[in-house]
Amino acid sequence: MTGFFSLTKRNCKLFFRDKGMFFTSLITPAILLVLYVTFLAKVYKESFTSALPAAFALDDSLINGTVGGQLVSSLLAVCCVTVSFCSNLLMVQDKVSGARRDLTMSPVSKSTLALSYFTASALSTMLICFVALGVCLVYLAIVGWYMTVKDVLLLCVDVFILVLFGTALSSIVNCNLSTNGQASAVGTIVSAGYGFVCGAYMPISNFGDGLQKVLSFLPGTYGTALFRNHALRGVYAEMLSIGFPVEIVEGIKDSIDCNLYFLGEKVGIGSMYAVMILSLVVLVGGYVLLNTIKRND
Amino acid sequence: MSDIIRIEHLCKSFGAVKAVQNLSFRVKEGELFAFLGVNGAGKSTTINILCGQLQKDSGTVEIDGMDLDHDTVRIKRELGVVFQNSVLDGALTVRDNLQSRAALYGIVGVVFKKRLERLSNLLDFEDVINRPVSKLSGGQRRRIDIARALIHHPRILVLDEPTTGLDPQSRRLLWDVVTKLREREGLTVFLTTHYMEEATDADYVIILDNGSIAGEGTPLSLKNTYAGDYVTLYGIDEKSVGALGLPYVPIRDGWRIEVATTSEATKLILEHPALFEDYEITKGKMDDVFLAVTGKKLNGGEGK
Repeated sequence: MTGFFSLTKRNCKLFFRDKGMFFTSLITPAILLVLYVTFLAKVYKESFTSALPAAFALDDSLINGTVGGQLVSSLLAVCCVTVSFCSNLLMVQDKVSGARRDLTMSPVSKSTLALSYFTASALSTMLICFVALGVCLVYLAIVGWYMTVKDVLLLCVDVFILVLFGTALSSIVNCNLSTNGQASAVGTIVSAGYGFVCGAYMPISNFGDGLQKVLSFLPGTYGTALFRNHALRGVYAEMLSIGFPVEIVEGIKDSIDCNLYFLGEKVGIGSMYAVMILSLVVLVGGYVLLNTIKRND
Repeated sequence: MSDIIRIEHLCKSFGAVKAVQNLSFRVKEGELFAFLGVNGAGKSTTINILCGQLQKDSGTVEIDGMDLDHDTVRIKRELGVVFQNSVLDGALTVRDNLQSRAALYGIVGVVFKKRLERLSNLLDFEDVINRPVSKLSGGQRRRIDIARALIHHPRILVLDEPTTGLDPQSRRLLWDVVTKLREREGLTVFLTTHYMEEATDADYVIILDNGSIAGEGTPLSLKNTYAGDYVTLYGIDEKSVGALGLPYVPIRDGWRIEVATTSEATKLILEHPALFEDYEITKGKMDDVFLAVTGKKLNGGEGK
């Protein structure tokens, strides 16, 4: 266990001390923030207010709370996955630098080494994502707070699950890479693409039917939806309490991906958790299997 | 001296390429053992097998009485490896690097502190202990590499082309450190190198070619077997040298004659005492041995 703890500590330290790796991991959330500040917030606000019937006059705080909830959920959804991908690139860097060869010269087993990469990546990502969650909650408190303690706790659970999901996914992908070029390519693809694929940059409901169907098979989509539901639950409750018809609230939920449909069937929150946990189990199993196969080679 | 490494009939192939073919040799405890060969000769493959990084196809490897097939973990505790390039974490300090590596061997807390103190004294790096490895000079980094290799008290230090790319001063420093370690800690040193003159100081040398042993012995026996002696004559004219009837080459201050053995040189001096007023006899170099054994030249540059 001493070896495992030491390796995990080393990996975490390396991630936070390597400014290149650390700041690269924050690129996608930063892009999202820039998009939001420059035009997304305005687009969200306008599309939201224009969709409302003329009879409904809404408080600014509720509108800002809704738009803020969208930003927060999008930001956390991409953060959990892209940061874990970048922090987990250490396993590739160690191959390139030769550090892995040095580590495997010691009596520590390869499975311990693989587990240490996973744990360190999960811990580093969790630290960043919980700090991000804290900042997001402060932001929501300023622009429009409609959440309960339960919502906050559920957001924490979502961060926990999605970080583990991102770490498991990145572990499977990264353990097959062995050059800086490959690592850079994967980092770029994930940073640029994941925000779209999980519906963080733009709600999936805005995409065509075919693409929506394809994306409904990807578990990350349900992770974003969980964040959306918990960040916006209070807003929807407030809307209903001030007299919004249920149909309109459901329409809003549909338009910003709080409601997701799999082959035409609405997916409940419980099912979303089930999808995420099942995916996590499959991915971790895959990582263990890959390491077993590689060890026997 | 007892054998600390025993390798018998070691074979390893990568597809159709036979990297190591029926290799057998022994390394005695406390000696400086040199492994010579051009790139692709099989040196790294052998070292990787020794260190448990690569599976062998056949043969036996025994280190300190332990079989590599059954005692890999215990064998890893006996080996310290200095790689050709530094493999420490550049972003971490010297202390952090050594601490994280020591913990892999269960060395933590006070035991680690004491070991760090001992190594920093021995290798003289107390002043850079809190500096990131990436900020160190080539020579300083090499010392930390050695400290990492020795952190767990190994009995065998494997130096895998440790001086490649180092400036002469750093190279000298490394050899001073290795010599000191052998004297003080009785380490067995397993060296692979491109530099022939480094092999000259070894107790035993193996020359590898195409995965098998092309020549082996002490540097002296190799020189005696595979390289002739040189007699250098000073202060005589070319006509007198020519009269000896042996091939000669001019050098700056005299003439160099190649003879097959030292006894032939002695015979020559006794037969022509008048010509040998100012002269020297030198053994052939390891480069000559390597060329004679493999038909190839090592491009290692100058010696240490």
